[in-house]
Amino acid sequence: MRRVLAAALVAFLPLPALANDLLATALNDHLLPGFGRLEANSAVLAEAAAETCDPQSPRLVEAFHDAWDSWIAVSHLRFGPTETGNRAFALGFWPDTRGVVPKSLAKLIADEDPIVEDPVAFLDVSVAARGFTALEFLLFDPAFADGSDYHCALIRAVTGDIAITTAAIAGDWRGAYGEAFVAPGSEGAPFRTESEALAALYSAMTTGLEFTADARLGRPLGTFERPRPKRAEARRANRSLRHVLISVQSNAELAAILSAGHPEDAAEIAAAFDRAVDAALRLDDPAFASVAEPAGRFRVEALQQRVREARDAARLSIGPRLGIAEGFNALDGD
Amino acid sequence: MATRRRVLAGLLASGLMPAASWADAGSPAYLAAARRSDGRFILVGLTVDGMPLFDLPLPARGHAAAAHPVRPEAVAFARRPGRFALVLDCSTGGLLARLDAPPGRHFYGHGAFSVDGTRLFTTENDYGAAQGMIGIWDAAREYRRLGEFPSGGVGPHDLLRLPGSDQLVVANGGIETHPDSGRAKLNLPAMRPNLSYLDPHGTLLEQVAPDPALHMNSIRHLAVAPDGTVAIAFQWQGDPYDAPPLLALHRRGVPLTYCEAPPPLHRQMHGYGGSIAVSESGDEVAITSPRGGMVQVFDLALGAFVAAHELADVCGVSAQKSGFLVTTGTGAVHGLRGDVLRSAGSHALQWDNHLVGLAQI
Repeated sequence: MRRVLAAALVAFLPLPALANDLLATALNDHLLPGFGRLEANSAVLAEAAAETCDPQSPRLVEAFHDAWDSWIAVSHLRFGPTETGNRAFALGFWPDTRGVVPKSLAKLIADEDPIVEDPVAFLDVSVAARGFTALEFLLFDPAFADGSDYHCALIRAVTGDIAITTAAIAGDWRGAYGEAFVAPGSEGAPFRTESEALAALYSAMTTGLEFTADARLGRPLGTFERPRPKRAEARRANRSLRHVLISVQSNAELAAILSAGHPEDAAEIAAAFDRAVDAALRLDDPAFASVAEPAGRFRVEALQQRVREARDAARLSIGPRLGIAEGFNALDGD
Repeated sequence: MATRRRVLAGLLASGLMPAASWADAGSPAYLAAARRSDGRFILVGLTVDGMPLFDLPLPARGHAAAAHPVRPEAVAFARRPGRFALVLDCSTGGLLARLDAPPGRHFYGHGAFSVDGTRLFTTENDYGAAQGMIGIWDAAREYRRLGEFPSGGVGPHDLLRLPGSDQLVVANGGIETHPDSGRAKLNLPAMRPNLSYLDPHGTLLEQVAPDPALHMNSIRHLAVAPDGTVAIAFQWQGDPYDAPPLLALHRRGVPLTYCEAPPPLHRQMHGYGGSIAVSESGDEVAITSPRGGMVQVFDLALGAFVAAHELADVCGVSAQKSGFLVTTGTGAVHGLRGDVLRSAGSHALQWDNHLVGLAQI
């Protein structure tokens, strides 16, 4: 009798192996490829900058776009290796509500600070003067892209730093951190249980989509009376919409992994993400300049709504299934 | 026989009408916002034992409330970024006043009255300048706006008055937000939370901040002990794995003292302190984490861990004569003291973030 009971219990308990499969799939199909692409594209970017620091160089510009694309595709994965030593902020300093990025760059340039010659020392430069947002100013803002020798050295320092930082993140994920991530509860593992590790992925997805809706779309939208197109992320490089699209696509991939094994839910979630992707693809407004007029604003608001619907679809079915505490207070704390 | 109405009319005519007091509202000991099962939002008055006494409708989800020290008036704040707060008469259920945030400001959801009840102070965001403000309202004259002063930091959230004085202590959370971008956090790499002591005219008396390595530990909610010790609940914005302390005690002129439970219990708080309270006797402090489904109790004098209790979606906590009263998003109310947690009822309500005690300090 006791044995029968035990068997019945086993049948009703969630199978740990399944949770572990999800973690392994997330690692192998989402985290490792994503950070691997970021590392590889950043290396290409640093090589291109070593060859030429001419902001007009198609090779440099293309490498810049590819590397930033691959950062945006993993920028929701904000735990573990990205958080060590402020790496994530050193790659993507945005929003910059006080204009710290141009100020920090202007100071380096005004001082002709020799720190750009030392890649190790450059790791200690303010995160605002590092990473893709800083590089965007150096390549696309006429006030910075002056073609001077120091400008060139600064581009090489920033791209070299991006390559070092992204290689460190990818290396951690390939190495000890990644191994521990799929073995929760083991010695030194970042998470005690599989549920905790899955919750980290889930929260990365929901927080990432909220950031895209609230900040990437919300900041340029401003209010109807006062739209703020100049607040759009990466508008100098004409990449604002591209960031929204990449964020939605990458989170769709993660949502698909987290909803594996439940095809009906997965299909519904995928359809919600597809609607957001379609809305982004239909929008012919790369830097959200159109938010200043009613018709354009309406389309950008619609895209924001689709992103929120995709998040809600994922949250509704994935959250409860992963057993994530999403109570009245846990979900909407303050 | 003199009817009640006639007596009242007579009193009114003779000018002898006694001012309404909290006794006219049934002498609640606590206020809490909640969501009913039909989705409507209410403000509830509770007895000292945690039994609902009355409820008043709210137009939207509430956050915290402030109780007038004498009159049965509750100021109910909307969740941030709320633009208004309602002053409710808890004896009649009537709406006494509506506080509208001035242009360019929104409320954060907390407020406190002066000792004499003539002033209400509210935490607000001057979002154009990303500067925290304290709004001053005239509680003696229809809650008119009197002025404002800087809160001493960015993102002020909780605000309390120190015992027996009009000095204020403010939790400047450090996080910049803007109503255009909802609740998106705009300055995490540069955030600098602090605890600021201010006089009622806005003079900064003392300020203390977590050390730079913990600059992403947002100071969010506060409780004050009878001796003036301030207990702080943090919300960590960095990697959850880092699991920094979530509770600190502060005594004027002395650095912060951090308190944390043994590692596995500390990790279970998920980097998130939802509410905090000091018991009336001042011997214990309790901190809740709805994300971790846990409430922890510490000895206030020693800063030592006492006990942890698992409780789904727990958030509201307030002082009781002996220990604490605790509320959850599942409708439960519990009494808590040290390692003893006992049920004090369950209701078809979702209790919101905070349980506000009316016991005046």
